[in-house]
Amino acid sequence: MSIRALILLIASIVLGTMHRLGGALFLILLFGVEWFYPVLFELMPGSATPGKRALGLKVVMDSGLPITPAASLVRNLLRAADFLPFLYAFGLVAMLLRPDFKRIGDLAAGTLVVHAGSVRLHGAMPEAAPRAPARALSTEEQAAIVAWAGRATRLTAARHDELAQLAAPLTRSASRPADTAHATEQLLGIAHWIVGRR
Amino acid sequence: MTMTPLQFESRQHARWDELEQALAAIETGRKPKTKAAKEDKAAKRAAAASAIDPAHFAALYRAACEDLALARSRAYPVHLTTRLEDLTARAHQLIYRRSDYGLARLKRLALIDFPQAVRAHWRYLLVAGVVFTLPLFLIGIATYADPGFVLSMHDADTARQYDHMYGPGSEPLGRERGADSDWMMFGHYIMNNIGIAFRCFAGGVFGGLGSLFFLAYNGAAAGSVAGYLTARGHGEAFYSFVVTHGAFELTAIVISGAAGLRLGHALLAPGRRTRLEALKLAASEAAVLVYGTIALLVIAAALEAFWSSARWVGPAVKYGVGAACWALVIGYLTAQGRPARHAAPSSAPTSTPMSIPMSTTRTGHAG
Repeated sequence: MSIRALILLIASIVLGTMHRLGGALFLILLFGVEWFYPVLFELMPGSATPGKRALGLKVVMDSGLPITPAASLVRNLLRAADFLPFLYAFGLVAMLLRPDFKRIGDLAAGTLVVHAGSVRLHGAMPEAAPRAPARALSTEEQAAIVAWAGRATRLTAARHDELAQLAAPLTRSASRPADTAHATEQLLGIAHWIVGRR
Repeated sequence: MTMTPLQFESRQHARWDELEQALAAIETGRKPKTKAAKEDKAAKRAAAASAIDPAHFAALYRAACEDLALARSRAYPVHLTTRLEDLTARAHQLIYRRSDYGLARLKRLALIDFPQAVRAHWRYLLVAGVVFTLPLFLIGIATYADPGFVLSMHDADTARQYDHMYGPGSEPLGRERGADSDWMMFGHYIMNNIGIAFRCFAGGVFGGLGSLFFLAYNGAAAGSVAGYLTARGHGEAFYSFVVTHGAFELTAIVISGAAGLRLGHALLAPGRRTRLEALKLAASEAAVLVYGTIALLVIAAALEAFWSSARWVGPAVKYGVGAACWALVIGYLTAQGRPARHAAPSSAPTSTPMSIPMSTTRTGHAG
């Protein structure tokens, strides 16, 4: 919104030098910026206004498809309804009531504002000697262990060790019952075994 | 022995890489960043685009979808599923992107879809028309009977301004205005009138109440001005001014109000759909009405600024042209686009498969 205000400010300075024709162009621009600026940018590649783009957001249809002109028009015209009774109050209420955080315009147009890039939380697993688990693991257990291993780069070592303790029944060894570093190492080995290193 | 994630990845990754390269080639072809890069990429893009066979691309996409389903059901590592999700989402966007934009679509909209949509919504149109014109006439007659009544709709300054604009003793509207001033008014009308029409539409999402309110309010406001000026004896100046562009403007406001009522009705009486689904369907159908409204209002604003205000044209000519415009608009809305040349309703999804900038191919055979 501040980007739009800036466009209008610059335009008013430039067009202000042009007397009445400038005034007319300014009014037309004001109109265009008020109603069609988002439509224009949402229909360009990237499907996002500059503000959304700066925040890594874009608009898509509920189906994940690129936004259609009709949907963009509807969601941006209904901005007027979202704005009522003051300062987007209805839009805010609609967003807070819904898990997918849609305002009224998004509900009617069937559109969704999403993060443009997928966030990668999982890095490479730290190296460890592959090790078969002591018992057969369910797919959920396998997934949890591999996901845990992939998060090694994003967690502190202490937290990583702490999480590994949850799988203690798999890693506990008779000789070293309380060795957390050993447990982490063992669980990493199991993770490598699960993804197929044997 | 089941397949491990590593085996799965090593077996399939060649296809994923190929899909990724094809995606990158098409996507950079779509939006080159700078001019230099554009020229630089032009050759590469041509080579890449010709190298990508659409049917093969579709096959790669379907294979990736299969792999994603397998990876999810086998709870493979997250880095595998996120990569596949990313690839399939990008390919999905390219394959199902609509491509029927442009002049042909505009022509179809103007010649067939819009007038048909207006007729399909005749019930809403009727309600919107009554809600707009009833206050117009009632307040108009009331103000005519008692000109002081105008003060309940407008403040005294505005009323004086109207007197000044249409009164014979003062600077007549338009005569002293130069071309630049006409442009100024054009901008003003665009801003004001299309804004009114859009609010009539948007208000519909509150069960139609907003549309009804804006329609009735604007009808009353217009009626009070008409009644007041008629009572003051400026009737001819006023009516000859509004008759031409009114054909487009009043119709457009009623149509956008009807589009708003369509939204409201869908919410209040969704039928066998959920309220949300009914609202979405209504909005996609009403969007056609809104397109037409925008066009009508731009015409109206141009006429209002450059024709209606021209004092050198006699009132008789203006009434004549005005009548012709009313006939044109009504004729267009009632007769254009008949009989239905296309059986499909305008709201049917028209996304065509495979619309990436290559030769188009149906995603028919499996890969």
